[in-house]
Amino acid sequence: MDTLLSGQLLFAALVSGSLYALVALGLNLVYGTLRLLNIAHGDLVMIGAYTAFWMISLFAIPPILSLFIAAALCALLGWAVYAGLFRRMLAKPELAKRVEANSLILFYGISVILQNLAALAFTSTSRGYQYLDTVITWQGISMTGNRLLSLGVAASVCFGALLFLRFHLFGWGLRAVIQRREAAQVVGVNLNRVQLLTICGGFAVAGVAGVLVSMTEQITPFMGFPFTIVAFVVIIIGGLGNIGAGVLAGFCLGLVETYGIALTSPGYRSILIYGLFVGVLLVRPEGIFTKAVRS
Amino acid sequence: MRGRRSLASAALATAIALTATGAAVAQEPITIGYSIARTGIYAAAAPSQENPYKLWQKQVNAAGGLELPDGEQRPVEFVSYDDQSNPANTVRIYEKLITQDEVDLLAAPWGTPMHLALAPVLQRFKMPMVGNTAASVQLRNVAPGYIWFPTSAIPDAMGAELAKMMQAEGVKSAALLANELPYSQEFRSFLIPALEEAGIEVMVDESYPPDIKDMTSMLVEVRDAAPDAVVAMTYPSDAFLFAGQAKELGIEASFVMSLIGPTIDAYRKANGSAVNGMVSSAHWSPEAEDWPRGQAFFDAYVEEFGEEPDALDSALAYMSLEILQQAVAEAGLEPEALRDEIASGTFDTINGEVRFEGVQNVVTPTGFVQIQDGKIELVWPESVATADFAPKQGW
Repeated sequence: MDTLLSGQLLFAALVSGSLYALVALGLNLVYGTLRLLNIAHGDLVMIGAYTAFWMISLFAIPPILSLFIAAALCALLGWAVYAGLFRRMLAKPELAKRVEANSLILFYGISVILQNLAALAFTSTSRGYQYLDTVITWQGISMTGNRLLSLGVAASVCFGALLFLRFHLFGWGLRAVIQRREAAQVVGVNLNRVQLLTICGGFAVAGVAGVLVSMTEQITPFMGFPFTIVAFVVIIIGGLGNIGAGVLAGFCLGLVETYGIALTSPGYRSILIYGLFVGVLLVRPEGIFTKAVRS
Repeated sequence: MRGRRSLASAALATAIALTATGAAVAQEPITIGYSIARTGIYAAAAPSQENPYKLWQKQVNAAGGLELPDGEQRPVEFVSYDDQSNPANTVRIYEKLITQDEVDLLAAPWGTPMHLALAPVLQRFKMPMVGNTAASVQLRNVAPGYIWFPTSAIPDAMGAELAKMMQAEGVKSAALLANELPYSQEFRSFLIPALEEAGIEVMVDESYPPDIKDMTSMLVEVRDAAPDAVVAMTYPSDAFLFAGQAKELGIEASFVMSLIGPTIDAYRKANGSAVNGMVSSAHWSPEAEDWPRGQAFFDAYVEEFGEEPDALDSALAYMSLEILQQAVAEAGLEPEALRDEIASGTFDTINGEVRFEGVQNVVTPTGFVQIQDGKIELVWPESVATADFAPKQGW
């Protein structure tokens, strides 16, 4: 019981939850705005992780700066994917109708290509580096510097994005596209611009998540897939295309996982996560927080 | 006139053909086939095996080629395929290597399931193969014939040896954390009775899934129980997690083990001095003076790949080819003769002498290593130890 009430467990839950929320945020933006099912999302996390590793190994650039480099790199990739693959497809109504199903296959291909390019370029040998691993103790809670940084960055990016969507004109346009695509165009939202910037932003967020992950996990070309899965679980729990709910769902998943394991046993991790997932699909297929956030 | 010309051209053609054949005989490489997990779930582990293969090939070819019993040397060429981490693919690939590619020799794929799937194929085609990166008690049930396992890191022997080692270091209580994957669970099932027999109390016994992302609640339980030893039966990905979070929570045990992971170069790079004192599973260290070629292998590997070889998988992979090389020098390429030689010969490897009885290496002792000042030192058993066990002093 003491453990359950300790700040230690809450810290762990928040670290996991913020990361889940961050990974899911990028996927949700891209799905919400462009209706693209980005199966390669986890591979962008991998690219972010490798960016951080090479920057610190080759140029001694610390991950806190690599956050920006990885974001820029992934945003560039987002631009390339949008300009090269999806712009024309989304512009033609007859193709746009099928884009959701087609994007799944296209992104699967992109995922395989990214993984194998990474394996060819960097070999599949696992990588790791040491950064901010001093343990800070505050109020009896032990926190490793890199996990604290991860929590800080992930939470800031998530809430920053939410504030942006709520208060900035572009954010309104983006939400309008998510809610009523055609109507948004009628009232003068530049669909092409919103789509391009969203895919760049969504990809950039995944790159940022990759940098954070790389500080504590081993880096390999095939590390991305679990992040894709977790991101899909989170946005389905929250409600597809509902950005705020997705962030909330990410934190909830972290809490359910950490406290669930503490109450039962680590062996129940998958049952807890997928149990919640299936439960939500059965009871509220539109997502658990959908209504609450809209109102 | 026509007759003379055709005679001349026939002679010329014969001469060309003879020259071509002569050149071909001198140049014809010995082909060695294998499959390896370049993609899929095992892909991150496979380079620790394939890199030593490449190093060995480079060294052998630089020395003139693989030596046959008549003293002739022929260059080595690999024929390799990606098995996508799927044992069913491994079986198909080796069948293709044997029947279509008609390779001269075989090298092993990565991992226990692949080795187990291959044993009947080798038996059927009567092609010998020295295994390497496989470790399970199930290996003991493989019918002796065309496959051998140089490893001594087999869970039943490891359980007994670890309990002995812990007893010798004065451990009275232990916490066990085990990944749910087969190797960890097999080890756990042999370790628990061995600990009981050694009078070591098991205070915590938890298993966790391979995709675990946070160990806080488990490690808080361990910290509160304050055992003398923590044995984490990890795979590489959770080994990183365990080290980071055990440090965060300040686990104070003087004996801390992480089953698979610490011998990987990236693990030490990611964790630095925090993992000094971490015990792990391996039976080789480059520091051993009795195995002088070990250090040479280590140095060549570092030069070639810019990182240290894995003390377990890389050493085993290289050993398996050393055994093959020495057996070919004695018996040649004919599969039956080669099989008899591997089964009965004694081989000199980077891990010392190796000799097989049935499918198993009966010489190399089951051992444990410890990270000391960033180096992998063999600390158990005493007969081959390169350093004394040093209790873990903080993180």
